[in-house]
Amino acid sequence: MNTSSNGYVLGFAVAVCVVMSSMLAFTATSLKPAQDAAAEFDRQKNVLMAAGLATATDTRSQKDLEALYQQRISELVVDTVDGAIQTGFAPRDVEKRNAEAAAKEADKAKKKSAMTRYRVVAVAKGDDGASSYVLPISGKGLWSTIYGYLALADDAATVKGVTFYKHGETPGLGGECENPAWCATWQGKSILDESKKLVGVIVKKGKVDATLPDEKRHKVDGLSGATITSDGITKFVKSDLAAFEPYLASLRK
Amino acid sequence: MTATATPPAKSGGLFGADEIKAIKDPLWDNNPIALQVLGICSALAVTTRLDKAIVMGLGVTFVTSLANLIISTIRNFIPNKIRIVVQLVVVSGVVIVFDQILKAYMFDLSKQLSVFVGLIITNCIVMGRLEAFAMGNKPWRSFLDGIGNGLGYMWILAVVGAVREVLGGGTLLGTQVIPKALYEAGYVNNGLMVLAPGAFILLGIIVWVQRSISGYTEK
Repeated sequence: MNTSSNGYVLGFAVAVCVVMSSMLAFTATSLKPAQDAAAEFDRQKNVLMAAGLATATDTRSQKDLEALYQQRISELVVDTVDGAIQTGFAPRDVEKRNAEAAAKEADKAKKKSAMTRYRVVAVAKGDDGASSYVLPISGKGLWSTIYGYLALADDAATVKGVTFYKHGETPGLGGECENPAWCATWQGKSILDESKKLVGVIVKKGKVDATLPDEKRHKVDGLSGATITSDGITKFVKSDLAAFEPYLASLRK
Repeated sequence: MTATATPPAKSGGLFGADEIKAIKDPLWDNNPIALQVLGICSALAVTTRLDKAIVMGLGVTFVTSLANLIISTIRNFIPNKIRIVVQLVVVSGVVIVFDQILKAYMFDLSKQLSVFVGLIITNCIVMGRLEAFAMGNKPWRSFLDGIGNGLGYMWILAVVGAVREVLGGGTLLGTQVIPKALYEAGYVNNGLMVLAPGAFILLGIIVWVQRSISGYTEK
């Protein structure tokens, strides 16, 4: 057989590609349920981490942590328009409901706000019995959408913890946003200034100067080599907090 | 191996002399990292902790052995003009399968290894073995050669990972090994070991020690 004829080369290349792609398609579909379960557990663990009920290097088993999640966390659906708690549908249906509502809107801007109108807040009961409010946050970094959780203490204004669990930022630079040591520096920051106006948490360029009251209250150290990721985080944390503000304001009363 | 079953001079069989050589050579005499100095970038990046190093080593073993097996099986049918492309397609496929398995069953580690699993595709050891060995040898022997090279890569990574984890974080496989009392007496973790230069220095020392024992000199 002449293995260097053009027809043979072409046929061989096609055959290799078809065989490899069907193999990949088979592995991807057969592992999908296990991957989804693993991702869901990772999400739950991050809610627990933000609320301070677990750590990144937790040695407890997956079963124990899932039980802890069931026990301590209750998920609520919040309407970001008026801050009311929605009981009409379950938290897992939120995405579907938002998508349906958005499909009905003709206007582009309205479509976008409808997509994110209902959001899920996880209320966590701490070891001391106090509640904390774990808010989902997400937005653009440099390369990717970053997903995380920001937990507020029971005054609905002080940061209890933060985690970033899904992103495609550069490892070692923007990817350091998931570093537990950096996330720990968010604890105790206030999202409101003295006049109760929303400021959010600001990721500064460089190090925080703790002698300035304003910096100490609202700012955290920047991620070196990742200015765009840092700025992105600042921006989406503020806009997501603004969306939750009607709900948070009702908690502060 | 018993001498009666397989005389050393004769090759063939499941574990003949050549087969043993294929698996043993890369572990020491022809180690991909210490002697050929291949696959260094990933060796620097994923060795901050022992478990990461071991999983990465297992990944490379999985990929080199399977890719070697597949390429060796079809080696007589691969048109010479596109052999590198075919090798790449096979390697990429095997790497993605490994990545998918990690995502399903070892989600935490897959997050920490992040891009480095995907980068096994560009690991010089993999392509090197395909070109140098699998294209000219029978499937079984190529498979063993892949296992040998993967393990040769893995043990060096594991040594670097263990030293870096102990000196850099005071832990081994996540459990504290340096006693608290030592920290109270003023001991501090070595920050250099957490960063890539620490791995560079360690690798240099390992290459030096390995070469002076095995008596290898650059020609």
